Formats: sequence, structure tokens, C-alpha cells
Amino acid sequence: MVSQIGSLALSIASGLILSTFFFLIYYRLTKDKLFIDLSERSMIATCLSIILATICLLNELLISNFNLQYVAQYTSYETPMFYKVTSLWAGQAGSLLFWTFIMSIYTLIYIFFTLNKIKALKYHSYFIFAIIFGFFLILSNFIANPFEPVSPDIIVQNGNGLNPLLQNVTMAIHPPILYLGFIGTTILFVMTLAALIMDEINYQWIKSIRSWALIVWTFLSAGIILGGYWAYQELGWGGYWAWDPVENSSLMPWFLLTAFIHSSIIQEKRGMLKTWNVLLASLTYIFVILGTFITRSGIISSVHSFTAESLGPLFFAFLCTLILLTFFWFFKHYHLLVSEEKIKSFTSREGGFLYNNLILITMCFIVLWGTLFPIISEAWSGEKIHIGQNYFNQLNVPIGIFLLFLMGVGPLLSWKKTSNSTLISNFKIPMIASFIMGSLYMIFTDGFRFYPFVALLGIVFTLTAISIEFKKSFDSHYSKNPSFFKAIFNLLSHNRHKNGGYIVHIGITLLFVGFVGRAFEAEKEFVLSPGEQIYFANHVFRLNSVTSEARDNHYAFISNMDVIDESNAYITTLYPEKRIYFYWNPDPEKRQPHSELDIHSTMNKDIYSVFSSYDPEKNEAYFKIMINPLVNWVWIGGIMIVLGSLFAFWPSSRRD
Amino acid sequence: MNKVYTSLILVFGLVVLWTIYLTNVKEDENLTVRYYTIKELTMEDKSITKVKVGGLIKPNSIDINESNRLEVWFYVYQGEDSLKVYYNGTRPDLFKDDAEVVVSGEFNNDLITATELQTKCASRYEGDLKNINST
Repeated sequence: MVSQIGSLALSIASGLILSTFFFLIYYRLTKDKLFIDLSERSMIATCLSIILATICLLNELLISNFNLQYVAQYTSYETPMFYKVTSLWAGQAGSLLFWTFIMSIYTLIYIFFTLNKIKALKYHSYFIFAIIFGFFLILSNFIANPFEPVSPDIIVQNGNGLNPLLQNVTMAIHPPILYLGFIGTTILFVMTLAALIMDEINYQWIKSIRSWALIVWTFLSAGIILGGYWAYQELGWGGYWAWDPVENSSLMPWFLLTAFIHSSIIQEKRGMLKTWNVLLASLTYIFVILGTFITRSGIISSVHSFTAESLGPLFFAFLCTLILLTFFWFFKHYHLLVSEEKIKSFTSREGGFLYNNLILITMCFIVLWGTLFPIISEAWSGEKIHIGQNYFNQLNVPIGIFLLFLMGVGPLLSWKKTSNSTLISNFKIPMIASFIMGSLYMIFTDGFRFYPFVALLGIVFTLTAISIEFKKSFDSHYSKNPSFFKAIFNLLSHNRHKNGGYIVHIGITLLFVGFVGRAFEAEKEFVLSPGEQIYFANHVFRLNSVTSEARDNHYAFISNMDVIDESNAYITTLYPEKRIYFYWNPDPEKRQPHSELDIHSTMNKDIYSVFSSYDPEKNEAYFKIMINPLVNWVWIGGIMIVLGSLFAFWPSSRRD
Repeated sequence: MNKVYTSLILVFGLVVLWTIYLTNVKEDENLTVRYYTIKELTMEDKSITKVKVGGLIKPNSIDINESNRLEVWFYVYQGEDSLKVYYNGTRPDLFKDDAEVVVSGEFNNDLITATELQTKCASRYEGDLKNINST
């Protein structure tokens, strides 16, 4: 019954979106305001129908209604309740409905909070929304319907169950947070295109879209970092980023949105770069759809991609529609966007923002080229060429280090032009700090490595420059009210955009600390029997025992391994496990092995252990051990990025 | 156009050209590796230092060395064509019969000595109804 209601709600949503189109066309013909109100109500009803359909699917997942294909494919009676909820976005059909669900919530917020303030954008916003919703509802109703029943000749006794690798808390929250970022860009696109058509790319638009951009950026950043954290904690290859096409698909919109957040400041402060901002905001969404096309079309081989290829042509057509719409209106109204004022000095704050944009756009191009290169090369020479991680690292690492320095340089520059004396006075302390760090590196490390060395200089330079800025603000507040705590409070409560931005920059600098650590990683694979030990990277690994245990939804072999340092001091005991999920199944095909890692994590380094394989007859256990320096700084940096971004988003007091 | 904008566009243009040069013209072996179909490799008689091949693991072809369980031989197939693969290292958890894999490594004498072995990511785990317990 509930599944029928859900299916019906999806169909009704399609009808409602069609009626939105008709009301908008009627409004266009008659100019009767009644029809714009009707289209608004129809749009709201569409969103509510989609929300109802999602709740129905969730209900069916929770009660294990295996009459639905989707429920039978991704859950089983044994699937824990929490993961029954997360299976909503585990497969193609569910994730598409979930996408539309989040889009509905965003749309409702946009209608009630943004369009109420910028009423001029209503008509075009609804029209663009209707196109986008129309597309996704076609997919959910006709191509990948999550309410599709199983074939009548099959009686399903129990479902497949959720893949064990997805039964992880990080993996449960990573997709919805990433989706909140991806789908939030829809609002940026709708708002930009509507404002472009209506010639409303003005101060009110930039203020409003900047708030949206900040919250979307926070979700996107958090989603990407959580994805890396999950890969690191769960997949067992010891890294958090592999430059896979699907990973790249989330990184490209992030580059563009980051560029937009910076260049929008120039429009807000000086009314410049309107054309550029319109392009960045629109392209961010276009790149989200491009990424989705890559993920769901099977056009590029990726270890992540969905298997259903029927969505490819539809996503491609949708992508082309978005590009055509954007560029048609961009060129038609280009003359309305051109600003009289130009950035004239290389050493100005505006110049700094532009360099930031240049770097981010360049990195986006490099990633795009590398991601699409198999298709480009096939079209070019008939040979499908894969781009390896070396390409992305070789090109992006030096540019990324340049960006790191720029985060320190930016705050030291003045608006319009920075005089030479100001330049020297502002750069003096960060330069000295970097010089000291460089000297310490040369003295205390064996063997010179160029990139880690330069990155360390950049880290110290940037952190010093940001600290100086905070010190200046603190001094200014302290001079007005000489109380330490009051000055700190005022520092935090005033100018949140700027201070939040600095906190984000500190977070990104800390990410670089983690990236530097990757240059010093070590890895070894070996076999041990209980009682044996091995020496590796200044540590002794001694296997004490391997025990086994039957648990609720898996069978586990648990190793017990002491780690001792070179001075014979005990560090920790690691308990990596080899698990067999669905072990009760008589068909060995359906049993799923899974390595549950154990990581001893400190600020200095991680000792990362994987129980690769176990031979019970010989009592031999196979391990992969990695020593990963400074990884924790990546997660700390990620947390600071999210906190800083939320801080910047938080509305300032009226006095600001 | 003023000098700031011109310089920025020039720098971007140079990076674009450099990227295209590295990948298309220079075809740097450290950066790129060619995708082959299994059919192409079965017809190849010379050795190739870097290849990348995708396919399914042939059922019952997985042969794990009993004295070193990290060593494995298996066949990867696409349609009618199959090719033997050797890999020495930790295998992904989803490595089993009919799993979709991508292997990279050296091709020599009808054997791929893989340095990299990936299975389809679990985040896109698409079960199908043939796997469902049914009566």
C-alpha cells in the first residue's frame, strides 16, 4: 500500500511539474499574476510530492518490503536498521530519488526565503526549476523507478543485503553530505540564470547568492573530506585520494565554487567581475551534472561508476541543454554585465583574488583534461589512453603550493594597490619565519626533497601571515577596550566573513601539512605465524595470536599484534580483522570477505594495519603495514575548513 | 584589455598548452598508460611495458599460491577472449569470480604481470536479482 502511495506521489509530481510549465506559459501570455502564484503553488506541491515519495521508499526499506526490486537488492532482514536508512542512496534508483528529495528541500527554502526578497526572479526561477525537476522526474518515473516491483514469478524470501564496505558510519553520512553540496549548486544555477535573464546581477543578487554559495561549499568540502576519510579508514590501500574520475567529478565543482566565493567578494566590494561571477556560478552546476554524467553513463572507466548505462544519453542531453541555455543568455546579455572599472595593479587585493581564481581554474582544467583524456585520446588517435596519478600530481602539486603561498600573500595586500614600503613591511615577518623553518628542515632531515621543502615554507609563511592579521584585529579591539577576553570576543563576533575565511585558510594550510607527510610514507607486506615478528621502518611488529569469533552479521578472524619501537618501548597492540560477511550462506559465492583495518593514530604518524589473508591450516597470517606520517592533519584541516566556513556563513551583527 | 587580465590569460594559456603537450604530443610514459582490450592483447606478440585492461574474473580461474597467499594467478575475460594475470600483493575484498576488475602492469608472453589490481568500488555496488534468494 505504502509503495503504491510512493509510486503515485512520484507520478503526481510529474503532473504537477507539467502544470507549472502551463501556468508559467499562461502568465507569459496573459500577464495575470494569478498564474505566477499558481505556478509557485504547483512548484511547492511538486516538492512535497517528492518528499512524500521518499518517505514512502524509506518506510519500505525499513519494513523490508522485498516485493520492491530496490528494497530486495540493497537490504536484507539482517541489515541493521541504520543501514536500511542509508540504503536509500546505495543504488541508482534510490540515489536519484534522494537527489530529487534534497533538491525539493533546497527549492522550498529558496522559494520561501530568497524569492520572497528578490521577487523579480520568480518567473524565470520557476521555469528553470521546472526544466530541472522535469528531467529528474522523467528518470525516476521511467528509467530508474525505485518502486518497481519484483517479477511476479519470483517470491523473495530475503534480500541481497547492503555491501559490507558500505556498512560504515562515515560511508553512511558521506553521500548525503556530498549530495547536499552537489545539489545545492542547483540553486546557484537557477538564481544566476534567472538574474542574468532579468538583468538583476546586482548587489542584492551577489549578497544573497554568496550566502548560498558558502553553505553549499561547506557541504561540498565536508563531503569530499569525508569521502577521503572513509577511503582511508575502510578500503585498505592506505590513501585518501586516488584521482579517480568520480573523485575528480566532485573536485572540479569545488574548484569552481571556491573561485566564485573569492571573486564574488570583488563584486560585492567594488562591483567588478560580474561576467566572471555569472560564468563561475553557472559552470559549477554544469560541472556537477558533467560529473554525474561521468559517474552514471559508464563513458569513462572508473572503479566507482554505476553499471546502468541507459542514463548516459539522457544526462548528456540535459548537460547540453544547460550549456546552451547558459551561453545563449550569457552572450545575449554580456553587454549588461561589463564593468567600467578594471583591476590595474598586480599588487592589489583584487589582483590577489584574481590569481586565486587563475590557479583554481587552471587546476580545474588540469583535472578535467586528465579525467576526459581517455575520450579525447580515443577521438584524437583511436587509442584509449588512461591518465595516471602521476599526471595529476606532477601538474597540480606545484600549482597547489603556489596557491598555498597565495593564501598568505592575499591578506597582506591592500585594495587597489599596495605600495612598496607596505609590501616590504607586511612580508618581512612571514619571510623570516619561513627562512627559519627552511633552515630547520635542512638541518634535521636526511636528504633534500624539493616539494616537501617548498610546501613547508609555504605553510609557515601562510600561518604567520594569517596570525599577523588576527593580531592586528586583536590589537585594534584591545585598544578600544583593554580587556583580553572582550577583545577576543569582539574579534570573533565582528567581520565574520573575513575571520571565517582566515579559519578556512588555516584549515587548508593544515591539509598541506598532511599532504607533505605523503612524501615520507613507507609500506610493507609480509606473512607471520603467531609468535613471529618482523622489523620494518624502525618498528618491530610481533604477532601474538589469531583468534576467531562468530558475530551477528559476520565471522571474524582477529589478529593481535604488538608494535614496539626501536628502543624496545611498547607502542600499541593492533587488532586488524579479516571478516566474512554472509558466512552462513551455503553458497560460497555469496559470502563477502572484508578486511577491517586497525590504525594507531597520533599527530605525528599513523601505523596502518591490514589483515590481508589468513591460512588456518598453516596458521599463517598475511599483513600489509603502512607508516603514514602526518595524516591526522588532513582531518584536523578538514574540520577547521568546515568550522571556518560555518563561522563565515553565520550572520554578522547589525553593527557590521 | 589591461595588463593584469592579459597576463592572467597568458599564464592560463601556457598551462593549457603545456598540459596538452605532456599528454598528447610527448605521450609521457610516466603520466599515461594505454587501455587495451583483451582481444588486442591476445593478438599482440611483443611485450608492452605498461598496459591497462578491464574485464571480469573468469569463474574458477583464481589460483592462490599455497606457500605465499599474496601471490595469485587468474584469468580476466571480455566476451570470448581471456588473458592470464599474475599479481603479488593484497587483493581487494571484492576480488572473486565474475568480479569486475581493472589491472595495470606489464604484458609479456600472454601474461599480464599486474602492479595494480582494482575491483569496482563498493559505493556503486549494484546487486542484481539473480543473487536474491528466491523460490
